Amino acid sequence: MSTELTMTLEVFRYHPETDSEPRFQAYEVPYDEDWVVLDALNWIKDHVDGSLTHRWSCRMGVCGSCGMMVNGDPKLTCAVFLKDYYPRPIKVEPLVNFPVERDLVVSLDGFMDKLEAVKPYIIRGDVNDTSGGEYLQSPAELAQYKQYSMCINCMLCYAACPVAGHEDEFLGPAALALGHRYNKDSRDQGQAERLDVMLVGEAIWGCTFVGECTVVCPKHVDPAGAIQQAKAVGAQEFFKRFVAPKGAGV
Amino acid sequence: MSGRYHRPHGWAWFLERPGYIRFMVRELTSFFVAGYLIVLLVTLGRLGGGEAAFAEWLNALSGPGWMLAHVVALIAAVWHSITWFGAVPQAMPMYLGEKKLPAPLAAVVMGYGPWLTVTAVIVWWVLR
Repeated sequence: MSTELTMTLEVFRYHPETDSEPRFQAYEVPYDEDWVVLDALNWIKDHVDGSLTHRWSCRMGVCGSCGMMVNGDPKLTCAVFLKDYYPRPIKVEPLVNFPVERDLVVSLDGFMDKLEAVKPYIIRGDVNDTSGGEYLQSPAELAQYKQYSMCINCMLCYAACPVAGHEDEFLGPAALALGHRYNKDSRDQGQAERLDVMLVGEAIWGCTFVGECTVVCPKHVDPAGAIQQAKAVGAQEFFKRFVAPKGAGV
Repeated sequence: MSGRYHRPHGWAWFLERPGYIRFMVRELTSFFVAGYLIVLLVTLGRLGGGEAAFAEWLNALSGPGWMLAHVVALIAAVWHSITWFGAVPQAMPMYLGEKKLPAPLAAVVMGYGPWLTVTAVIVWWVLR
């Protein structure tokens, strides 16, 4: 008789071809204190049920692919160990606040649109002029945005944000933090273009500073802080329009 | 069947995470702060109404119900202030060169320090 320890994973299942509602399926998986939740999901897919669908790639907290709800908390499943839950069962669900494509896979469409909207890249007016050499930057200038550049687009922050779940117009924590990251970059000249997107309607003002995006961020980006700083910049620019000459730009 | 599944949002979303509950408590404390400001405005109005009206109002405020309301408003205002001072380092990070000021120190420099200074000035002005 085997003495192998096991534990239970209750996994969210939804196959759009056959299911009108999701269901939970329980699996007994081997318990290994070195295993993370992603290892258990891969074991299920390899040994029990090949139809289980989930995203993953790097397995070391860099690619941001394996974000799921683990017992109600948004987590990178490659970074959360079975031993932290054993012997209690673990409930694994797709990230909340996103439409579910299949099982543990959510649709990225809305997030990608929002990310693209904030133009998360350096914008320069002199992009074709290389006569000046590199765009130099001091360590102090780098420090202004470095924390916000650590985002891996894992979307855990969207799953933790109640506003992202209720307000479609809200651009959300990661997109706004990345917009702010480029606005704070001394090499960038695109703040006016980004603010045109960020300051419209509920795009940024929908944030009520709940702060859970920062709590769940696996890379310590602090999107909540970035958003409040971006709001302050937006407010300053709003009042500048009354004193700056028309056409002077932001 | 086909298509994406959209999970419903419950009305009790604010109970789903402890952080949401803390957020709601922080926001709700503002009602007590607003309530106290209304009482303060009424007090100023009574002061303008003359000595008798003001004395009558102060007498009413000394009842147990009003005393309890003031204690609750004070606790709410203090909690509201503490939570917002705690958020200041996120909203307004301070840098010394390439080093970010530690959050507790930034909260003192930009929150608790000015708060205590203004309070001390008011206390001095009232008691001088």
